[in-house]
Amino acid sequence: MSRPVDSTDRLMSLYAMAVRLYPRAFREVYGASLRQTFRDALDDRTLSRRALIPLVLRDLALSLAKEHLAMLRDTFGRPALIFNALVLAALATVLAQALYTIPQQVLRLGANDPQIALADDLAAKLEQGIAPADAVSPGSIDIARSLTPFVIAYDDQGHPLASQARLDGAIPAPPSGVFDYVRQHGQDRLSWQPVRGTEHGVRIAAVVERVAPSGSAPGGFVLAGRNMREVESREHLVGQLALLAWIAMLGLISVGTAAFGWYSRPKISVARV
Amino acid sequence: MATGTVPAAPLSPAVFAILLSLAEGEKTGSPSTGPGRWGGKHGYLIMTDARRPQGGGIQMGPGTLYGSIERMMRDGLVEESGASDDARRRYYRLTTWGQSVLAAELGRLDAAVSSARSLGLIPQGGRS
Repeated sequence: MSRPVDSTDRLMSLYAMAVRLYPRAFREVYGASLRQTFRDALDDRTLSRRALIPLVLRDLALSLAKEHLAMLRDTFGRPALIFNALVLAALATVLAQALYTIPQQVLRLGANDPQIALADDLAAKLEQGIAPADAVSPGSIDIARSLTPFVIAYDDQGHPLASQARLDGAIPAPPSGVFDYVRQHGQDRLSWQPVRGTEHGVRIAAVVERVAPSGSAPGGFVLAGRNMREVESREHLVGQLALLAWIAMLGLISVGTAAFGWYSRPKISVARV
Repeated sequence: MATGTVPAAPLSPAVFAILLSLAEGEKTGSPSTGPGRWGGKHGYLIMTDARRPQGGGIQMGPGTLYGSIERMMRDGLVEESGASDDARRRYYRLTTWGQSVLAAELGRLDAAVSSARSLGLIPQGGRS
């Protein structure tokens, strides 16, 4: 069976176009050989084109996918490259965690500052025998809404004696375990949550101090507190900035790793002897 | 695949067929006989060898052939001979390491065929 020359040329042109789809490095080394081998197959009269064309189409589909995967693996899948990227990602994660934790702790610890002084002063007054009602300045601070620091005096059993604070119309009291701890350790600094919940919860930066009995003054406790809403809002902002920094660092590492992988990719060498 | 350790896993059909084709050329010395070592086989000749039942019966296209050759060269199984009757054709031949790997694979297949024959899975007089 004679084969028209223009048909062979057309098939060769199509195959040459298909060869351009191989990864550049592979194409530069084997492109001419691929075309020549296809030409040899077209010229082989023992091989019908009905058998050859499906074979070559299937081969193109499979080998194109395989060579591109191999190129990706050689470029980006090298263990040293992945190891370096993972180490950098771990460092970025630690750094981002530190970027959040350090300012968060500074903010949280700073939120206790006025309460420490307020609790110290009130405890000193009560220990001098001043009556709680006189020692605690009058006031009615709604601790769910107000950011103003407040103080409360409790007796030795934890019952409120005088308070500037109100929560739903009543004087709030921390869990009795707090008083037990302060009875043993003298002071506690805690995040007290008189109303639970993330949306409408109330969290107080509280300092609870022991009032030692002295002379006629009975022992008890004082609590100085402040709504943490503003501090937590700043902590949330710090968290968002740290998250953005983390994502940016991971993005830079990914781009840098990809670029380094691309420029340092192994080249196909033709080892002639 | 590092040279020095014969692979434990079976070779892929394409790699086996290429090794077999080149080994056959080493034995027969055809078609390209140079002044020193055998000149090797070019791509299409390897493909036609692979198509034959005794060559593995593999329908292999040019992409699979050269992709396999690339990896086999990287693994040190084959090398370019440098012989050429046409600038567009490259000739390949087995390395000593490639011969060892092929021998190991043939030994593995031979053991499997012997076992199958002893179990009566292959008719008496059948090819091995």
